[in-house]
Amino acid sequence: MSLKLGLYKDPDSLSVTKPTAAKGEQAAAAVAMELSMSGSSLRTFGRCVTCLARTGSELVFQADPAKLELHTLNSSRSAYASVSLARDFFDHFNLPASTARAPSSTPLQCSVLLKSVLAVLRTPHGALDRLAVSLPDLDAPKLHFTLHCLNGAIKTYRIACNAEPEVQTLALDRGRFPSRLVIRPRELARLLSNFQSSLQELTVIATDPVAGLPDVGGEVGGKAVELRSYIDPTKDDCDTRLHTQLWIDPSEEFEEYVHNGDPVDVTLGLKELKAFLTFCEGCEVDILLFFEKAGEPVLLVPRFGLDDGSTSDFDATLILATMTVSQLVDSNGAQQPATSAQHAEEPRAAATPSLVPENVSNHTKIWSELSGTPKSFEANRAIHAQKERMNHTSMLPNDINAPCKPPVADSANNTLYQGVQRLQMDHLGEHPEVISTNARSQHHPSNWVGADDSDDDNDEDEELLVQTTPHYMD
Amino acid sequence: MSSSTSGRDDDAPDLVCQLDCVHGMVEALSSARWKRHQDAVMELSQHGVVITVEESGCLQAKVFLKRELFVEYEYAGQGRVRFGLSLGLLIDCLNIFSSPGHASAVEIRYPGPDMQLLLKSVGSPDACMYAEIRTRIPDTVSWDFQFEHAGNTPVTFTVKSAILKESIDDLEWPGSNIQIQMQPDPPSVILKGEGHGDLQIEYPYYANTDLLIAFQCDREVSYRYKYKFLRATTSNIPSSVIKENRGTKVQIGRGGMLKIQHLISVARPGMPYYRNIAGGDDQTSRIVYVEFFVKPEEDDNTVNDA
Repeated sequence: MSLKLGLYKDPDSLSVTKPTAAKGEQAAAAVAMELSMSGSSLRTFGRCVTCLARTGSELVFQADPAKLELHTLNSSRSAYASVSLARDFFDHFNLPASTARAPSSTPLQCSVLLKSVLAVLRTPHGALDRLAVSLPDLDAPKLHFTLHCLNGAIKTYRIACNAEPEVQTLALDRGRFPSRLVIRPRELARLLSNFQSSLQELTVIATDPVAGLPDVGGEVGGKAVELRSYIDPTKDDCDTRLHTQLWIDPSEEFEEYVHNGDPVDVTLGLKELKAFLTFCEGCEVDILLFFEKAGEPVLLVPRFGLDDGSTSDFDATLILATMTVSQLVDSNGAQQPATSAQHAEEPRAAATPSLVPENVSNHTKIWSELSGTPKSFEANRAIHAQKERMNHTSMLPNDINAPCKPPVADSANNTLYQGVQRLQMDHLGEHPEVISTNARSQHHPSNWVGADDSDDDNDEDEELLVQTTPHYMD
Repeated sequence: MSSSTSGRDDDAPDLVCQLDCVHGMVEALSSARWKRHQDAVMELSQHGVVITVEESGCLQAKVFLKRELFVEYEYAGQGRVRFGLSLGLLIDCLNIFSSPGHASAVEIRYPGPDMQLLLKSVGSPDACMYAEIRTRIPDTVSWDFQFEHAGNTPVTFTVKSAILKESIDDLEWPGSNIQIQMQPDPPSVILKGEGHGDLQIEYPYYANTDLLIAFQCDREVSYRYKYKFLRATTSNIPSSVIKENRGTKVQIGRGGMLKIQHLISVARPGMPYYRNIAGGDDQTSRIVYVEFFVKPEEDDNTVNDA
């Protein structure tokens, strides 16, 4: 069964269905798998399980003489999380049956519900001496978890194995990704705290930091990366949700940032990203994110040490699918192919109107497109004409080049939700064909700060605007 | 105090007592509170006060407040006096009288003019709080919770209250009845739940720690109990019991009747060594005994004695 991710699959690592070992091998082994861990390994194991539990619901154990792998796939098949624990991670690691088997045979596998494993790990780590996991035989119906508590009590959990596990292994070659960034988990948490906590998807727009972007009034110039909230335009509450944009300087926020060439964007799910963030924070390692472009998956791994090589006895991987539809409008206005990489993407992949900006060669223009060229505002506004309470009005910034400040969602700011702004009737007639299509709108004009307030020289309005990432180096 | 049998001449209340450790009393009574509203039977005698709570004929809790716990205890009733009242109401009321941090004394009187329980704050010169709680004629005890040891030697073990509570909390996960099994060889206690997942918690006697403070068992016994009743026996243990590392005594009697006994100390805040009227040992006289009785589930169990 193939994944709905458009992923590069390493054929050697892809395996399906449970292995059926010969009966003779089974009889020879007293137990199919037994391992035990304590101390910091136990704490790390707990963190792994917590991270996997926030990603998917089924946990697949795969053991071979060198390591134990745990992985899970989320229900919408858009996130795959995997943890690899080397032999040395454990105090005791024994796979008796495997020695009798041919090395090329499929590794020992079983699959259990993550909810059950979380119940096992409810006992605080500080109260445990060691945790032992064992599978009595290859076809055993239950996986055993035995907790040896410091107070002397012994708790044995027997968790039913899923009869027909859907085992998928994914591996992505890091070398295929042209771009990457490294960020400390605490810094990423700080950046994400600017976004609504209920936000489900985030767009990361990466531009080439040495491309020499023209300084557009000092507001956004020099900030090569943008984080932008992604709200599904087909949802009814799209227009009332908080939209946030954050421009950051990679040299200040990231430990490392590599991106060359044209701007790319990737839109990915936040739930699994936050789970991985918490995991890396607990393990005190930085997050290394590899990306390519919209539609291609992103790969996240913890970065141990200064080089990319893993110097630890455990490793983790998170592969997230990204939206195929790019949030950037590229210069020739071509549409991204609406391939259904995600179930959830299919409604969005409907035909979108092509919005042709006036100055096609200006990179700055591209990623401040949303903040409003007159045409984009008009097109979007027209599409949502039936949703608007006000007729034929829009909020247009005076200065086309001014980047849009993220809207401040506090009730004291009355200018955000002003009823009637200035009228701009002259562009209405230019795109009659988009009025009838139910296409996407990235925002509702009334959410953005009004034309009067976008004047940078007006000091009174400064406090209404959220400043872009402050310059710490000043 | 008149000892006349007519009763009409005797206007003196059956009981006048004074309590200085209201907060401790609230904690002790709360350990028997597994539902918001419970009908309790309060029994007064010259030995002290016993509050009994029951549920569905399968679970019973008794809180023993012996007279040595009280600063004053004057009993003038005829034999034993029994009446019913709401446990929740009594606890909530006592809570009003207790103020954490400084000593609060309350005087309890029974009966009032209308057979109610009267409470009055004492010790404060400036203000007085006064409360009445309605009582009623108690229902007869529906089930005989007479506990008897099966066989010659009791089957019993004592484990730290904190550990028992944690084990019972963990046993919620299987979602099934809980089997308690004791065996002499190797000496251990095993609590088991087998539902949509299996969990077995074992207390081996020969663990390196003082897990089992006491253990006595000459033959294997094993009975099942409804989880919610077992849960009620430990869910409201006061945190002081956990902190003081007290032990809980568990006994399995004839027919599988389970008896769980907690010891709750009710020290007077700020003065832990208050000399009480009985002049007894402070350690033992400041202890409230709380006992739970749980009937086993009907089970064809060939292991146990008939």
